[in-house]
Amino acid sequence: MTLVTIETSTSAAAVQPFPSRVAPLARRDARTEPRLVRGIIITLALTFLTVFVVLPLALVFLEAFSKGVGFYLKALADPEALAAIWLTLVTAAISVSLNLVFGVAAAWAIAKFEFRGKTLLITLIDLPFSVSPVISGLVFVLLFGAQGFFGPWLMAHGIHVLFALPAIVLATAFVTFPFVARELIPLMQEQGSQEEEAAISLGASGWRTFLLVTLPNVKWGLLYGVLLCNARAMGEFGAVSVVSGHIRGETNTMPLLVEILYNEYQLVGAFAIASLLAFLALVTLIVKTILEGHLDEGQPASDD
Amino acid sequence: MKDSPQVTIEVRNIVKQFGAFRALDNVDLKVANGELLALLGPSGSGKTTLLRIIAGLDWPDAGEVSFDGENALARGAGERHVGFVFQHYALFRHMTVFENVAFGLRVQPRAVRKDEAAIRARVKELLDLVQLDWLAGRYPSQLSGGQRQRIALARALAIEPRILLLDEPFGALDAKVRKELRQWLRSLHEEINVTSIFVTHDQEEALEVANRVVVMDKGRIEQIGTPGDVYDNPATAFVHSFIGESIILPVDVSEGHVKLGSRVLNVDANGASGPSKLFVRRHDMHVGPVGEGAFDGTVRRVRSFGPIQRADIALNGDGDTLVEIDAPRDRNLTAGDIVSLQPRRYRIFAGRD
Ligand SMILES: Nc1ncnc2c1ncn2[C@@H]1O[C@H](COP(=O)(O)OP(=O)(O)O)[C@@H](O)[C@H]1O
Ligand SMILES: [Mg+2]
Repeated sequence: MTLVTIETSTSAAAVQPFPSRVAPLARRDARTEPRLVRGIIITLALTFLTVFVVLPLALVFLEAFSKGVGFYLKALADPEALAAIWLTLVTAAISVSLNLVFGVAAAWAIAKFEFRGKTLLITLIDLPFSVSPVISGLVFVLLFGAQGFFGPWLMAHGIHVLFALPAIVLATAFVTFPFVARELIPLMQEQGSQEEEAAISLGASGWRTFLLVTLPNVKWGLLYGVLLCNARAMGEFGAVSVVSGHIRGETNTMPLLVEILYNEYQLVGAFAIASLLAFLALVTLIVKTILEGHLDEGQPASDD
Repeated sequence: MKDSPQVTIEVRNIVKQFGAFRALDNVDLKVANGELLALLGPSGSGKTTLLRIIAGLDWPDAGEVSFDGENALARGAGERHVGFVFQHYALFRHMTVFENVAFGLRVQPRAVRKDEAAIRARVKELLDLVQLDWLAGRYPSQLSGGQRQRIALARALAIEPRILLLDEPFGALDAKVRKELRQWLRSLHEEINVTSIFVTHDQEEALEVANRVVVMDKGRIEQIGTPGDVYDNPATAFVHSFIGESIILPVDVSEGHVKLGSRVLNVDANGASGPSKLFVRRHDMHVGPVGEGAFDGTVRRVRSFGPIQRADIALNGDGDTLVEIDAPRDRNLTAGDIVSLQPRRYRIFAGRD
């Protein structure tokens, strides 16, 4: 940078005195803060990150392995722990799939079509983010509980929703719904519908247009949304806690089991499960960083 | 390719509303088979909307569209076999140039779909046609504007369209590339001879490329004619001012007399009456000795380039009105000269707005 500036100013100085004068000004502008202030700000940020993020994460692993690897593995092999892991995986798989389909459909409708009630739909998509997860859980209790709206009918037919997998999946799906849609809407809006129109006029059916044009154009954004959705689905506590009923070995997800074990002073067990969740968070972060690279690189293609 | 079927397009009384706004107002148009027609009009005049309705990407509120006498509105966009070249290309960004051009062939119903070898051969042929076969492996983001435009055209031609629609094909390109592509489009059309409509807001482009020109304004067709026609015999005041540059003078017509301010001009009223506008092409204004023309004026400024000289002349007795005329180089004009002006050809259209 500096080298280039010097070169310009010497070779072009006689003809054009401007560049030599502009460059130093611009350089001073870009870094107005003195060294000391910069140092303090950076130290503050790093200290904060260490105390509030890195330290707790490290402690989780330390605590989990505090009685050795054998104890750690034994804690994870406990039937209750295995049941919780399995339930969490199943719940995440189902609710993420549901949100993948609903999210893509909602984003597609919002970005590519004009219809009445569109603003309302956009607001509704954000609802799960603005409502406390506990309330989201309570809504399902009100709907499916014994005194709830569908409760009596469900009971009469022997269908278990509340305190069982269906309610856990529903609550999780509800809480994590916005991730996919939120990620896709701006992306699709920015891309417009001209490529789809081109595909249609070239004779592609609506479905093939969606598969061959719409979906590939948003694939990185979609993966990004799915990733965040999955992370939240596996980690959700509040809403699931309300609808789960905490039946041991049956309706406890990993976050719920962590709390139960912790309250029972089974620290190694609690932190062993917690370490899995923390590991998930780390993997999520890494994949997220990779995906963000792809998202940025996908941008320039949209320009004409 | 030489014997692609040629189709006549007929558009009757098309009306298109966007809410309360009327984007197309009773548009009537017939495009002969094998013709290259230019749709010319200012931005917002409804050109794109008309093209989209013909292609089946939009639907009219009233009116008919037929291809060779057969109702096109009964078919969806995919069944009309219309090649559409979008203003901003709309290339598939995640596909290579090759796959972009192949798209229309790959999505055909299985019964008529070509096999892979035939698809490859056809794409190669199209890329040769647009002279870009060396770009087959690139992505759209790696192409220049002019290259994207030609790939968009190749993609549209892949389905052997019965009709080709081009929406401001050169709109986003710089002047030099535009000029080259113009010639190229003209000769390409001669080669493939598909009935084509191309939209432009650039009159020079329309006049140079097309067999016939349709001039549109505010959702209506103002005039249809050959490039010569619309230039020499503009049907309306709008066409006269939009196509070619004109001197426009506000005049009043009463009892066959044409008055500019208080002066009676030595020109025919052409059937207009009341407040009107007098249109004269710059080069149609003859400069003569004082007293011989329709009005006198004082030369203010003269610039010469090439075979002509352009002069600003202030009309006498009406000092505010400055007209810009083109005179031959040998007619020696200097600032301060007092001369007379006589329109050799002119038009008077009633109305002032
Ligand atoms: N989808 C739409 N919704 C509302 N108004 C539209 C829409 N498409 C076009 N218009 C309006 O219709 C008019 C004609 O547009 P268009 O056909 O694109 O003009 P042109 O191509 O001649 O510039 C413009 O005023 C434009 O704002
Ligand atoms: Mg347009």
